[in-house]
Amino acid sequence: MADLSVNLFGKTLRNPVMNASGTLGYGTEIEPLWRVDTLGAYVSKGLSFVPHHGNPPPRLWEEKSALINSVGLQNIGLERFFKEAFPLFRERQTPVIINFFGFTEEDYVRCAGAIRADELIVALEINLSCPNIKEGGICLGKRAEGVFSIIRKVKAVTGLPLIAKLTPEVTDVVEIARAAFEAGAEGITVFNTFPAAAVDVERMSLPIRGGLSGPFLKSMALRAVADITSAVPVPVIGTGGVMDDRDALAFLMAGATAVQVGTATFVDPYAIPKIIRGIDAYMNGHAIGRLNQIIGRSRAQDRAV
Amino acid sequence: MDRIDDIEGAILRNRSVLPGYFLASIRLRRPMAGTRPGQFIMLKVPSAEVFLRRPFSVYDYGKSVLSILYRVAGIGTSALAAAGRGEKVMVLGPLGNGFTQLPGHAPVLVAGGIGIAGIHFLWTKVKKRSTLFWGCTTSSEAALLRKIMSHGPHISTIDGSLGCTGNVVDLLGQHISEMKRPLQVFACGPEAMFPALRDLLAGERMPCQVLVEERMACGLGICFGCVRKTVDEIEPYKRVCKEGPVFDLWQISL
Repeated sequence: MADLSVNLFGKTLRNPVMNASGTLGYGTEIEPLWRVDTLGAYVSKGLSFVPHHGNPPPRLWEEKSALINSVGLQNIGLERFFKEAFPLFRERQTPVIINFFGFTEEDYVRCAGAIRADELIVALEINLSCPNIKEGGICLGKRAEGVFSIIRKVKAVTGLPLIAKLTPEVTDVVEIARAAFEAGAEGITVFNTFPAAAVDVERMSLPIRGGLSGPFLKSMALRAVADITSAVPVPVIGTGGVMDDRDALAFLMAGATAVQVGTATFVDPYAIPKIIRGIDAYMNGHAIGRLNQIIGRSRAQDRAV
Repeated sequence: MDRIDDIEGAILRNRSVLPGYFLASIRLRRPMAGTRPGQFIMLKVPSAEVFLRRPFSVYDYGKSVLSILYRVAGIGTSALAAAGRGEKVMVLGPLGNGFTQLPGHAPVLVAGGIGIAGIHFLWTKVKKRSTLFWGCTTSSEAALLRKIMSHGPHISTIDGSLGCTGNVVDLLGQHISEMKRPLQVFACGPEAMFPALRDLLAGERMPCQVLVEERMACGLGICFGCVRKTVDEIEPYKRVCKEGPVFDLWQISL
């Protein structure tokens, strides 16, 4: 058995594989198939201070090897999360990353400020892709100034490490990552889904606008991981199109400290445990004892930028 | 916590029972956990063109053989219809809540068209003491299942080519007043059935469970993609795959 553990903000995760926020419910739903302590860390469904109903259906649309979702951040709110969902992670001693969002800067600050430190909480992950209703629905994450401002304000109210989850819909993702770092973010997750729409050709309708996910994201997310880890000195969590162990290894070798698996779990509910076993098998097969011998490895020959 | 398995299966039969309608039987490598009527499975269709799994009501299940009845409606069902004997599939299930019978109530089963796919498994368990109402578009659709027809269900067709002319809720309305109480209705079919049922049953507020359909990604409750709006003001959107697919008619928003 290779040692898959990674250190993130002073906490040891047993492996570098997490779920992407919103793709593993509240954790309990997967337990009939596998235990949540299989994960390196559980990333919570996006939480708000008050519960949020989310969008009316239809919320899903399948494209060729891709999924558009418009769930709209339905969630039970912070208080119920800690009361109803968190005890499972306590029982399983599973590290947790709390993903959170708001529709105004005040929402974000109120939410982050209400989350108390806990031995199991590794970090907060701030969703920067959500529309800001005070700025005409433009998301904060699209502009470096917006990112800098919100992260400054959130850092002022929490002592927990803060991971900025970036939107891909920007001109220069490295500039945004740098703004997050300069404002005090201790980590970066790249990235969220791409804005997308579907047209139903038979009905001549446009049934959904939402976020696009799936394997096609991998190459773009890998580029973002490689570029950001070259430029910004914080751990980067890679997500986007991780379907199997080789995809996960690619992210680690591009410089990611950990990976998040999302849509793959819908295709195969055992994707996450299989990826973890696959990383282990790869390391054993290549006589690699520790994960940090892999992280960023591909960049030794990096001639880039 | 109920067990859920992801089991490899091989297609035993997959035949067209009518143009556009298929009945498939799948032999599972090992038995699925106990399956209740109204539950469903997520099927990995044997085609690289189909990305996500597809939900299908359990039409019948026993001795590691699962049957599903489906209408070809999109790329998933088209690819499945093209699959031949021996082709491998993955079956995740059983999923969802299933029907719950009230003790002492006579079951009234109401299926609209292909909605029979969701009602049939329940019917196999309660046929002696239940009454089945089935509404089809034409008589050829009703010919779909000779086995059911031999039990003399109440049939209606939109074109009047068999049984009563009209939809299945009209048909139910013609008989329900004479039926001995207490009754419990179980229904599956097109969306328009639900408001019609509500209008018909509102006077007595008769217990009625409906099996609803929605596009799904995971089938497990982890993606929150397949919701149905309910009258719950705190959490109006319920997951069809997790809190459903069977809902109380009086709880869903119509």
